Amino acid sequence: MLFAIGDYLAGILIGLATTLAVRAIIWPGMDMVLAMLIGMALGTVVHLLVGLALAPLVGMFETMVPGSLIGMYGGMLLGMRDSMSAGSLTLASALIVGAIFGVIVVCGIKVYNRILQGAVFEASN
Amino acid sequence: MDIETQRKWDAASRTLDIMSFAEDRRIGPHKRRLFSKTRGATLMVAAGTGNDFKFFPPNMNVVAVDISPKMLERAAKKAATYTGTIDLREMDVCNLEFPDASFDTVATAFTFCSVPKPVAGLSELRRVLKPDGQLLMIEHVRSAIGPIGIFMDLMTPLTSRLGPSLNRDTVGNVQKAGFRLQRVENVYLDVLKIIEAVPE
Repeated sequence: MLFAIGDYLAGILIGLATTLAVRAIIWPGMDMVLAMLIGMALGTVVHLLVGLALAPLVGMFETMVPGSLIGMYGGMLLGMRDSMSAGSLTLASALIVGAIFGVIVVCGIKVYNRILQGAVFEASN
Repeated sequence: MDIETQRKWDAASRTLDIMSFAEDRRIGPHKRRLFSKTRGATLMVAAGTGNDFKFFPPNMNVVAVDISPKMLERAAKKAATYTGTIDLREMDVCNLEFPDASFDTVATAFTFCSVPKPVAGLSELRRVLKPDGQLLMIEHVRSAIGPIGIFMDLMTPLTSRLGPSLNRDTVGNVQKAGFRLQRVENVYLDVLKIIEAVPE
């Protein structure tokens, strides 16, 4: 139970940190493709740093796998969104979006994990 | 002996216990379930700092090898608390100093993400396994889930400098090395897998 809460907190934290990093670098009107690429790079670096810090407490795989989606792909989406000035006008609302994105990804990974878990091959004797 | 790999894991030995603190608790029950199938003379490959010794059934006779002397220094303390015997040896999995058909069981935990020549290492395990022996593995592998797999491919050049490769096809490598799969189980997504195999 504690680990499950930790997974969601880690996802939220990576989402928040990615949002902050993207907000600090990407400005409204920036070329959208460039913003996506920068956002992806920023999100990847952020998730690696935050993920490494949290891995001893939550687990390497359970932090890094959802974290990679939040950082890399979330960074792309948030970068594109900020360059278009679409949606979140204030930092607070952007952070809420980042946190929600983190929760959705962690939740999605947990559901998918339930589907995939178990034997995928068993030899008949 | 692969000196470069040895140096890498000597350096990693300082942080391995800290980094695997939570993983031990989350993945530990799966390791215990897998290693409960251990029987007879047992070889554990890449013993690391000995975190996995506690998952073996009690009173086993295990030979545990690792390429890193620094890892083995730490593992010695944990081996001393095991209620059986654990014989620690510094050895490269690609060049094991055991005769053919020496072991009934070979066990690995997160090993073949880190062996530079995985098929050569697995072939060596096949050599030291008895014909009716068993290979018990818990390993992380490349995900077939598109975005996660792509990320693993992108990150591997970085992670392999400090530790493991993320994009190994260990199930395929086991078969290439001359094993027949008995059971494959997804433990976490399709990234963490239990693999049970026997010599072909």
